[in-house]
Amino acid sequence: MRTPFILTGVALLAALPLLVSAGLLNASVQMLIAALFACAYSLLAGRAGMLSFGHAAYFGVGAFATVHAMNALGGSGLLPTPLLPLVGAVAGLAFGLVAGWFATQRSGTVFAMITLAIAELLHALAPQLKGWFGGESGVSSMRMPAWGFDFGSTTQVYYLALAWVLMALAALYFHSRTPLGRLTLALRENPHRLRFLGYDMHGLGVSAFALSAMFSGIAGALQVISNESANYAVFDAGVSAGVVLNCFIGGVGSFLGPALGAALMTFFGYSVSDQTQVWLLYQGMLFVLVMMYMPDGLTGLVSATASLVRRHGFARVLPLGLCGGAAAVLVAAAVVFGVEMLQRLFSQDYRALARLSAGPPPIALFGRSWTASALFTWLVPAGLLAAGGLLGWGAARRLRALSPASATDDEKHASSSESTPESTPVLGLSEQVRA
Amino acid sequence: MNVDTPILSVRGLRKSFGLTEIIRGVDIDLGKGERRALIGPNGAGKSTLFHLISGNLAPSAGTISFDGRPITGWTPQRINRAGLSRSFQITNIFPKLSVFENIRLAVMRARQSQYMFWRRIERVPGLREATDQLLERVRLQGQASTLAGEMSYSQQRSLELAMTLASDPKVILLDEPMAGMSTDETHYTMELIREVTSGRALLVVEHDMDVVFALADRISVLVYGEVIATGTPDEIRSHQGVREAYLGEEVA
Repeated sequence: MRTPFILTGVALLAALPLLVSAGLLNASVQMLIAALFACAYSLLAGRAGMLSFGHAAYFGVGAFATVHAMNALGGSGLLPTPLLPLVGAVAGLAFGLVAGWFATQRSGTVFAMITLAIAELLHALAPQLKGWFGGESGVSSMRMPAWGFDFGSTTQVYYLALAWVLMALAALYFHSRTPLGRLTLALRENPHRLRFLGYDMHGLGVSAFALSAMFSGIAGALQVISNESANYAVFDAGVSAGVVLNCFIGGVGSFLGPALGAALMTFFGYSVSDQTQVWLLYQGMLFVLVMMYMPDGLTGLVSATASLVRRHGFARVLPLGLCGGAAAVLVAAAVVFGVEMLQRLFSQDYRALARLSAGPPPIALFGRSWTASALFTWLVPAGLLAAGGLLGWGAARRLRALSPASATDDEKHASSSESTPESTPVLGLSEQVRA
Repeated sequence: MNVDTPILSVRGLRKSFGLTEIIRGVDIDLGKGERRALIGPNGAGKSTLFHLISGNLAPSAGTISFDGRPITGWTPQRINRAGLSRSFQITNIFPKLSVFENIRLAVMRARQSQYMFWRRIERVPGLREATDQLLERVRLQGQASTLAGEMSYSQQRSLELAMTLASDPKVILLDEPMAGMSTDETHYTMELIREVTSGRALLVVEHDMDVVFALADRISVLVYGEVIATGTPDEIRSHQGVREAYLGEEVA
């Protein structure tokens, strides 16, 4: 049913090197890797309902195993460059089996804490073990030519990553259709009942954990192939947090949601990080907003809109969508303006400058200079916010008028009390106790 | 009924939570193919006894043997695989999965396909047929694609019954299968239980005395963690101790 969409998407991805600049293509490689990592994580957090806070560990283990394999074998023999992600897969799987065996003894909060501890343990150990992780400077390597490709250009690396990511996503999707995959879903829905149907909960949990770690390892391997180096920073808690945020922003309820979220967030990170110093703040705000008002993530928004269109027709939903979209843009503009102004106002540079000059010096922002003490400067974000709020209020009213009883979160201004976070697995999935 | 070699045998079973002893030395023998009702006032320990037998709780003392093998201290999944299946007092299904999928999950276990990852679930031989068959037996074939949580309460109980049956168990424990049902639903479910459990041993906790007397071959009465009487419905009706302890309030 969705085959045309998928084929179009794959064709677009395949044609991408012809369409974009080298810099953007490099970012695309990162987007692909992040998408695979998020989908791997979603197998555990979304489908199995086990929230891991330390998935950087499996990404990193895959990365370091690969960089060592690159150096040891020189890209020759049984493991030419295109097959290197297999090393990441095996390393991720092996480490995932061990870590998963311990972590899945418990569920809910305790499980999350164990995964966090394992990742932090690696992060603390890695700089000490110079032989394995190369200390502060990391381990670097070289991509070797193989199979008639020299892997010297970003384009070739892009196609290598694309091929692996597509294969891995196909495998992950296939998993969801197998008996093991269906059971993984049931594990999230009602682990207690599964025990009384004769299933081994621990075995199921370990399988989900290890498979998720395996695909994370592939993502780590691809990153090493792309960067030609690995540094212990891959074990950073920020990496673990990033994959959680990407996944939930995209929407763990759907298969491609996490990939979409990760690709978008990586793209934003790439395009915005030169413009602002507070990208992490925006990332955090976005996450909080999505979790509060669209617990099903971006894909939840898409499917809610699609169902509105189905029920009421495109013509009636369009003004609502425009209204809501404009509101979101206006509010976002207000927030960005406010945040950027404040960030500059409170920066050390500005305070130093202010002490040197007589009055508050003007702040350059968006190609204009603004006076911090002028009322007009602050009327801009206030005005944007008011306009956005008004539009949002209008959109919310329109939405209620369309479907008085429905609980869709079409726009982020729809009241949060209406939302039903159905497919969002939560931390404390019914914990089972056996005396 | 063959009472000489019981399929399920409970001996001197005790369970304490802290200082409170809930089960105080219970002996029960369930014959092959016997339908036994377990009755008793609230707080008598009926559900606890079920939790002990099905492996949800570990007993403080005593033994449970199933088909001649001691199963005391086994995990719930091991007990289930040995052939003892149970339902729950509070409906325990997968509410966000379809009815078909609920039953399929239960059927799959008996076919050893827990770790099958190389084959699409639709291609597992015999799975679809076995699932359809069970759907038909509990008369839910029309609801196959409904989300389990969206069905009526009594339909959910039927679903739970199908899931309990999926492993082709020798012994079935049903914990208040008719709780909260209307008279019609109760009658319907009772007939369904009678039909689908034929040839299997059944231990059922139930408060509805009409159901108990109509369904059970024999009845055990549990009061304050002890079995004070076991016998046919007629014997239990006329048992003086039972009348005093329990029935006096409900059956005049």
